[in-house]
Amino acid sequence: MVEQTPAISLRGLTKSFGSVTAVSNLDLEIKSGEFFSMLGPSGSGKTTVLRMIAGFELPTSGHVFLDGEDVTTKAPFDRDVNTVFQDYALFPHMTVLENVAYGLRVRGVGKREREAAAVEALSTVRLADFGGRKPSELSGGQRQRVALARAIIVKPKVLLLDEPLGALDLKLREQMQIELKELQRELAITFIFVTHDQEEALTLSDRVAVFNQGRIEQIGSPQELYERPQTPFVAGFVGTTNLLEPQDTQALFGKAIKGSIRPERIKLTTQNSVATHSGKVIEAIYVGSATRVHIKLDAGPEVTALVLSGSDSSESWSRNQEVQVVLNEKDLVQLETK
Amino acid sequence: MIENPVGKTMKGSDISAPKSFAHRVSSRLYTNAKLRLRLLIATPLLWLALVYVAALLALFVTAFWTMDSFTGEIRADWNIENFVKLFTNSLYQTVTLRTLGIALLVTVVDILIALPIAFFMAKIASPRMRGILVISILMPLWASYLVKAYAWRSVLSNEGILQWLLRPLGLDTPGYSLVGAALTLGYIWLPYVILPIYTGLEKVPQNILEASSDLGAKTWSTLRLIVFPLLLPAIAAGSIFAFSLTMGDYITINIVGGATQMLGNLVYTNVGTANNLPMAAAIAMIPIAIMFIYLSVIRKTGALDNL
Amino acid sequence: MSKTPLKLSALIVGMALALSGCAASGGQTSGKLQSLGDNEKTLSLLGWPGYAEDGSNDPAYDWVTPFEKDTGCQVTFKSYGTSDEALNLFKSGDYDVIAASGDATLRLIASGDVQPLNTDLIPSYKDVYPFLKGQAWNTVDGETYGVPHGYGANLLMYNTEVVKPAPTSWDVVFDKASAYKGKVTAYDSPIYIADAALYLMKHNPDLGITNPYALDADQLAAAVDLLKAQKDNVGEYWSDYLKSIDSFSTGNSVVGTTWQVIKNFMPEGSTVEAVLPSEGATGWSDSWMVSSTTKSPNCAYAWLNYIDTPEANAAATEYFGEAPATAGACEFGSKGFCDSYHAGDEAYAAQIWYWTTPIAKCLDGRTDATCTDYSEWTTAWQEIKG
Repeated sequence: MVEQTPAISLRGLTKSFGSVTAVSNLDLEIKSGEFFSMLGPSGSGKTTVLRMIAGFELPTSGHVFLDGEDVTTKAPFDRDVNTVFQDYALFPHMTVLENVAYGLRVRGVGKREREAAAVEALSTVRLADFGGRKPSELSGGQRQRVALARAIIVKPKVLLLDEPLGALDLKLREQMQIELKELQRELAITFIFVTHDQEEALTLSDRVAVFNQGRIEQIGSPQELYERPQTPFVAGFVGTTNLLEPQDTQALFGKAIKGSIRPERIKLTTQNSVATHSGKVIEAIYVGSATRVHIKLDAGPEVTALVLSGSDSSESWSRNQEVQVVLNEKDLVQLETK
Repeated sequence: MIENPVGKTMKGSDISAPKSFAHRVSSRLYTNAKLRLRLLIATPLLWLALVYVAALLALFVTAFWTMDSFTGEIRADWNIENFVKLFTNSLYQTVTLRTLGIALLVTVVDILIALPIAFFMAKIASPRMRGILVISILMPLWASYLVKAYAWRSVLSNEGILQWLLRPLGLDTPGYSLVGAALTLGYIWLPYVILPIYTGLEKVPQNILEASSDLGAKTWSTLRLIVFPLLLPAIAAGSIFAFSLTMGDYITINIVGGATQMLGNLVYTNVGTANNLPMAAAIAMIPIAIMFIYLSVIRKTGALDNL
Repeated sequence: MSKTPLKLSALIVGMALALSGCAASGGQTSGKLQSLGDNEKTLSLLGWPGYAEDGSNDPAYDWVTPFEKDTGCQVTFKSYGTSDEALNLFKSGDYDVIAASGDATLRLIASGDVQPLNTDLIPSYKDVYPFLKGQAWNTVDGETYGVPHGYGANLLMYNTEVVKPAPTSWDVVFDKASAYKGKVTAYDSPIYIADAALYLMKHNPDLGITNPYALDADQLAAAVDLLKAQKDNVGEYWSDYLKSIDSFSTGNSVVGTTWQVIKNFMPEGSTVEAVLPSEGATGWSDSWMVSSTTKSPNCAYAWLNYIDTPEANAAATEYFGEAPATAGACEFGSKGFCDSYHAGDEAYAAQIWYWTTPIAKCLDGRTDATCTDYSEWTTAWQEIKG
C-alpha cells in the first residue's frame, strides 16, 4: 500500500537564535486535510516551527517538505502555504476587499475577477457587506475573519494559523472555533493551528503535537493526549491532573509508578468502605458547572477532585470536612520518567 | 473606648476646613480636561503667535512699504509696487522657477537615496549595525552647515575628489553650478529626509511585510503595494524638510552655485546690498506662498501628523 | 531725485548737532568742528576687517594701543563685510567714526549720517597724496567729509598657464571671454557695473561715457548687456576674497577681477599674474568719516589724524593689502610694500576710477541727462545675475 504523501513533513528541523535553541531536531509529518494543532506554552518553539513552514525563518539545519517537495530555502511567496497572523496583519491602507483580493492581485488576476473572488471569500466568513471598510473600522472578530478570507482566497494547500483567536474575548472565541472547524471541513485543506490554549487545541484538532522546550513531547489525537498522556508535562498541560509520585501510588494502589489521575475520575463520598481512602477537605471551590475539591489524603498526597454539579456526590463540601475518596486503578495513567 | 485624638482631628479637618484656593484650582483642573489642556497650550501658543505669526505679518506688511532709494530710508506709504514688480519682471519668475526646480530636484534625489538607506536600517540591519548607521547619519548634523558647504566647494573644484573620480570615466566634475549646488544641498539635507522615512519604516509592522510575502507578493510588489503607500506620510514629512530648506537657501548656492542665484540670494541682495527691506519682504513672500501650497498638498497625505 | 529730503535731513541733523554741540567741548558752527577740546573717554570705530587692529588677532599687528595710550580714547572696533552692511550698521548711530569706501561715502553724506570735516584740525592731512584729496567720493560742494585711509585697484588676474598671451586689456573678460567659458570670475556687487562701463568708455566711444559712475539709462543698458553676455562665461562671482583665492588656486577661475591682496596671498607655486589693463581699472579709496551725532568729536578727530600719520598708515594699509594714503608711510612699511601696491604712483593712480556711489545727478557734470542711481544699479545687477 502506497502511503499518501504528507502535506507537511519536517525532518531534523533545528532553529537557533544565537545561543538559544528554539527548536531542536524536530521530526513531524502532517497529513493532508488534517486539522493539526501545535500546543505548548509560550517559548516552546511552536510558533518558530510555524514560521519555518511559512518561510519567514530559515532553519539552522533540517528540512521542510511541502507535499513532498523540499521548500526549505524557498521564499514565502514561493510556498503554497498561507498564514493567518496572530494580530491579523491586515494592510491598514487598503479596504477589506483590497486586503482579501491582495493575494490574487499579486498573482496578476484582473481587477474584476479578483474582486468577485474577494466578495465570495468574504461571504464565506460572513462579511460580504464589509468590503468597502478599512480594517481600522472593524471589530477584532471581524478582522480575524478578514485575515482568514485573505489567506484562503489563494486556495493554499496548507493554512497556518498563529494563535488566531488569542486576542478575542471568550464568547467570540468559542464562536470562531466553531466557524474555523466548519471552514476547514468546507475547504478540505490542511490547517496547522498554533495555540497555547489546550482546550482550544482539543476542541478543534484531529491531532495535536504538544511542544515543550523546543521538542515535541507527544503527538496524538485529543483523546489520546487527554486519556493517555505519556509525560508529566503533557498530563499537566493538557487538562488538569493529579500527578502522583511512586511513593503515593505505592500507598494508594500498591504499585510504585509515576502516575496521573484526572480530577473528574475521582469520586467523593461520605460513606466509609474498604475501597475508599479517607481524607480531609482543604478547600472546595465552586466554579459553576462543578466544584473543585482539594483533599489531603491520610495516605499522604493531596489530590483534587472535580465534582460535577448535579451529580450524586455534588453535596456541598466544606473545609476540614472528613471525606472518603474513591480511586480506581484503571483511571491511573502511567507516565514516563526521565 | 479610648478616642484617638489624632484620628479625630484629622478626620474633622478634612471635612470642615474651607478648601484653599490652590486646592480648588487643582480640583477644578483635575475634573476639567479641556481647561487643563487650554492652559497647557496657552503659553507655547502665545509664543508661537508672537514669534511666528506676528513676524510673518510684519514681513507681509513691510512688503507694502517703499524704500527711498537715495537715502535708504524706509517709508510706510502703502502701495503694491513691489508685488507688481514681482509679477511683471521676468527676473523674479526665472529665479522662482529655478529655485523651485532645485528644491524639487533635491527633494526627489534625497528621497530616492533615503529610501534604500532607511529600508536597510529599519528592516535589514542588525540592531548593532542600525545604531552605527543612525549615528553616522546624524554625525554630519553636528558639523556646521558652512563647513559642509565649503567641504563640497573643495570636492566639486577642478582639483577636487569628484574630478579625480570622474576623470577615468571620461566625465568632469559639475563644478560650481546648479548641479553642484543641488548635490551639496542634497547632501546637507539628506539626514532630515532619512530620519522620518526610517522612523516611518520602523512603524510598519514586520508581520505586514510577512503577510504580503506570504500571500505571494515578490519583494518589489511588497515595496510598491505595501511599503510605499504606508511610507507615503513619512516620505512627505521628509520632503518638507528637503524642500523648504532648499527653498530658503542662499548660502550654499553662493558657495558652490557658481554664477547662479536663488530666491534667497535676491532677498539677501535686497536686504544686504540694496537695503530695500520692503522689496526683500515681497520676494520672501514667494517661498512662503510656495510652501503654503506645498504644505496644503502634503496635508492630504497625513504627513503632518508624522512630524 | 528730489532734493527736499536731503535738505530736510540736513536740517534735522543740524538741529541735533546744535543740541548736542553744547555738550561737546569745542565750538561748532554749521556742523563743522572749529576747534579741538579735551579728548573724550571712548571712541567707537566701524571699518573693513583689519582697519583697526589692537593686537588681539595677531600681537604683531597693533596700531590701536599706541593711539589709546597717546590720546586716552578707549577704542572699540567693529568690522563689516560689505559697503552695504556698513551703511546699515552705521545708521544705528552706535559708531563715532567709519572707514567707508567710495560706493558708500556719498550715501552717508546724502543721508546726513556724517559731518563735514575741518581739515585744519587734522595735521597729518596735509601729507596725504594730493590725488586722493577733494575727490567725488570724499568731497561734496567743497566740503571735505573724509580723510583718505588707503587705496587700491581692481586688477585683472589671470592664470599664466591658461591665458595666453598675457592679457593687457579687459577684453579677456568681456568680448573675448568665451575662450575661458565657465572660468571667468567677476566681483559680486552692483558696483561691478562700473567695470563694464569703463570698458565701454574705452571701446565704444559712441555711448559717450566719460565717467563709469555716471551712466544714463542708455549707457547703463549697454553695460548691462555687456555683463549679461559676460555672465554666460562666468564660473562664479566673488565677494569674499578668500573664495577668489580658492577659485584661482584650484583652477576653477582662470581670469577675472582681483585685488592686489589676493595676488599677494595666492599659495606658493600659483601660476597667476595680476595686471592693470590698458583701459585702466576701477578701484577703491577708503575714507574715515565722523558721525554727525558723535559724542566724541575730539577723539574722532584724533583718530583721523592718527591714521594718516606715517607709521599707523603704513601698518594699517599693509596689513589689509592696499596702497597707503601718505607718502611717509612708505618709510615704515616692509620692503617693497609701496612698490607692490604702486603707492604714490600718480600715473598708476590716474588710471583708477575709484568706487563712487552712482547718483541721479550725473557725477560727470552733465546737466542735460539724469543718471541712474545705485538702487537702479542694484536692480540691474540682480537681473544680470538672473
